[in-house]
Amino acid sequence: MKIGKVDIKVSLVAIAVFVIFTVLLIAASISSPEVRSQLIWLIPVLFMLLVVPIALNYMSRSQYAELKPEYKREAKTVRVKLINENMIGKIVRIEGVVERVHFQFLNRPQYTIGDRSGTISVKMFTSPDENIKVNDIVEVYGQVIRRYIVTGEPVINCVSISTLKKTPAKA
Amino acid sequence: MWLLPPVPSLPPIRIPVNVMETPAESPVPANPLLWLEFAVPALSFGGALLAIVLLQAGVTLDSRFPSLGCVFASITLAYLAWLRPRKDIVALSTPIYSIIFFILPSESLPGIVLQLLYAMSLTLLQVRLKHRFGQTSAAAARTAELTGPLEEYAGRVRGLPAGMTPEAAHRAAIVFLRFSQGEYRSAAETAAAGASDGTAIGRACAIVAEQAAILDKPSPRQVAPRIFFFENRPFLAKSQSGENEDRIADAALDNALLLLFAAAWIGSEADRPRLLTGRAFAEKLLEST
Repeated sequence: MKIGKVDIKVSLVAIAVFVIFTVLLIAASISSPEVRSQLIWLIPVLFMLLVVPIALNYMSRSQYAELKPEYKREAKTVRVKLINENMIGKIVRIEGVVERVHFQFLNRPQYTIGDRSGTISVKMFTSPDENIKVNDIVEVYGQVIRRYIVTGEPVINCVSISTLKKTPAKA
Repeated sequence: MWLLPPVPSLPPIRIPVNVMETPAESPVPANPLLWLEFAVPALSFGGALLAIVLLQAGVTLDSRFPSLGCVFASITLAYLAWLRPRKDIVALSTPIYSIIFFILPSESLPGIVLQLLYAMSLTLLQVRLKHRFGQTSAAAARTAELTGPLEEYAGRVRGLPAGMTPEAAHRAAIVFLRFSQGEYRSAAETAAAGASDGTAIGRACAIVAEQAAILDKPSPRQVAPRIFFFENRPFLAKSQSGENEDRIADAALDNALLLLFAAAWIGSEADRPRLLTGRAFAEKLLEST
């Protein structure tokens, strides 16, 4: 689904919540006349369960789309091993293989990316443009942050992750 | 590259005592937080024990009072987890769980069982925290010493040839720190100023200058890498061999950065507080394959 130039991806959880409450509302409407009398506001509220996640996804993805050119301009290509606490706040680019994927269904994916020098966690706070799978060779643009925002080891706050169609360039 | 006739090893140069510290002579610092580590099981089991004693004595007391021992133990555990550079989210979140479990009053016997089970969990988490998440930042920083393999490597580097001036050691510190911060252009320029083929440090600067310049480019491409000479081998942390140019370049860069860190640590005491910020990076380089 596209809104303007932004490709919207609603998470499975949001869709599941909408479906569950739709079924509950239908069942309640059938069994209770009181519920039927409130449908005039219950149905719009039900659709808000879908509209709000869509709106939030649109806002986050359009923001990330605006950031992408800036990050591509400023990023330094580094090996994973060179990323350390002294680089917190730096914009970097890494290339590597996806070793693990978590929370993709929540639209908050976390990847473990490995190159020849080591592995690092890559967190994204919106859905990526592509469906990234384990063993994909990817390039990542992001900012080095602490794992728990104010504390923890360095991880990458990803703005863009995309598959590479060729062998990664050697940094 | 190692087919050249072996060069006699250079004799170690004695460095003045006020610069050098011998790790074997330094006393092993006591863990000042040991009492806190014992407090976790003491508080949690202590609260449960108090509840048992009161139950046996027939004293009726709100079960939430003895369970405060578990709450305080959770806060202590979370504090110990907070002090460590690698954070344990499980230990950090135990105060929240203690409040959830013990906020509502319960009957005496089930409450005691819950406290005992919770105390056991906290003790296991405490052991896990100690063994999997290393020493606290405070303990590491308080000693202000190198430890483990990095300390051992610095000991080997103490035999660097004479000629390492305080200015060269300070430059080595600057190059290492700027490189660790991702300031590759600045690191390359500073390293280039100290690059030479005459000394191991000079060679290290040349290698870092070359590699940092490559990393500063938008699309870095590895060229035939500069490596250390055969006679520098005694001061290298890792082997320079590799199955391709990239591996060889990686190893040369790691060796160069580690040599600069160790040389700066030995030769520039004033830079040690700043070098401590890069110690984790140096340890990571040393331990990486």
